[in-house]
Amino acid sequence: MAGAGELEGRVALVTGGGQGIGRAVAARLQAAGARVVATGRRPAPAEPLDGVDYLQADQSLNADWVRTMEHVEARCGRLDVCVVNGGVAGGVPLADMTLEQFRALCGINLKGCFLGLKHAAAAMRRHGEGGSVVLVGSIVGMVGVPDSTHYAASKEGVRLLAKAAALELGPEGVRVNSVHPGMTRTAMTAAFPEAAMAPRIPLGRFADPDEVAAVVLYAASPRAAFMTGAELVVDGGWIAQ
Amino acid sequence: MSGRLQDRVVVVTGASKGIGAATVAACLREGARVVGTARDPSAIVESETCRAVAHDVGSEADWARVMEAAEALGPVYGVVNNAGVFLLKPLAETSEADFDTLYRTNVEGCWLGVKHGFAAIGRSGRGGAVVNVSSLMGQVGVADGTAYCATKGAVTGLTKAAAVDGARLTPKIRVNSLHPGVTWTPMLTGVFGEHASGDALFGADTPLRRVGRPEEMADAVVFLLSDESAYMTGAELTVDGGRGAD
Repeated sequence: MAGAGELEGRVALVTGGGQGIGRAVAARLQAAGARVVATGRRPAPAEPLDGVDYLQADQSLNADWVRTMEHVEARCGRLDVCVVNGGVAGGVPLADMTLEQFRALCGINLKGCFLGLKHAAAAMRRHGEGGSVVLVGSIVGMVGVPDSTHYAASKEGVRLLAKAAALELGPEGVRVNSVHPGMTRTAMTAAFPEAAMAPRIPLGRFADPDEVAAVVLYAASPRAAFMTGAELVVDGGWIAQ
Repeated sequence: MSGRLQDRVVVVTGASKGIGAATVAACLREGARVVGTARDPSAIVESETCRAVAHDVGSEADWARVMEAAEALGPVYGVVNNAGVFLLKPLAETSEADFDTLYRTNVEGCWLGVKHGFAAIGRSGRGGAVVNVSSLMGQVGVADGTAYCATKGAVTGLTKAAAVDGARLTPKIRVNSLHPGVTWTPMLTGVFGEHASGDALFGADTPLRRVGRPEEMADAVVFLLSDESAYMTGAELTVDGGRGAD
């Protein structure tokens, strides 16, 4: 099986890991041999995974990151892979969007990645063997869509945050890359009609969460040992047009 | 245990050395049957699952012969357009002949590979994947690199258009580009010297503090060929140790 064993003995953390892309990432990392801790804002995962430890945590809160890293290091001893995948969306026209709405979304999507990077890098520094951080962005921000100024700002911010962090953390052996999904079959996109939108996507369909997870696994794995600061677009060709 | 490319037929150009040779090895390790091509293919080790073919990628007639050899191994699944010519020279000293040499191999060779790859994969009746090896220099400018950057930028662009075309075919063919950063291969040792240390020359400017290895680029090619990247098409995969992130 693809990827089997390549993360044997490694410890991975996935935020937003209770459902959707995050859950698929947790499953892929686990199948590759990693011990996986998933976090999410809900008290319990929407779709639990056998063998994956779940912790309630809000990635926009520094205190929750402190608690998460204490949990990971106490239970698993170390951190090697951190996938900051948690995120929220929501269409609001610019004229109606309040600063509070903008700030709340950016707090989760953008500041959550900043905090995750900061705490993951510190955890990786404690064992000194480097590691891999994968930030999940979006193609939104690389291209614009209506009624999503907050989402576009947060996700494009994530793309550049990953690059800046890659420059800074590279010498320590910590790789930082971003993965940018297009339309993916998750709760976040449940309101978008796949049949109506598919003709605009070259591959003619939305992605399964596992297809995004496979790309995240590649970025996290030793197969990508020389890749850092890269942006991996997984969008069925949407923005190649 | 089956490999990521089990029993799939893949054509790799520029296969006698560097990234191409490592790609052939990685594809074979993942279960593929491979046709490796090069102007002088004598360094490509043939076996039951690997054939070597003499190939000028700028020659359409040669592409027809390559695809015949590939189809003798089975229905064609993938093409890796890896062959390339490198040049660093100030613009004022770069001749039209220099430009034409790079253009013919790097751009027309890649375009012909996509064209003949689509035809061959189409005959298989199954889907497939094309990987075009561009460069970090197909994404950012480098001093004395006008000709090389122009040709690799062209590969970046044609990949996206080909991805849109490939997605309109039935079954669909995915097309992505790989952008290696400084990778210590004969292409670079030919310019900077066999005995120079790539890490010493380029490490300081690279966040990971070293140059890339051909095997690391081969792993990226395998990823782009395999079902692990099933929802990626028209994408640019940069594997450069962070060199281009600034």
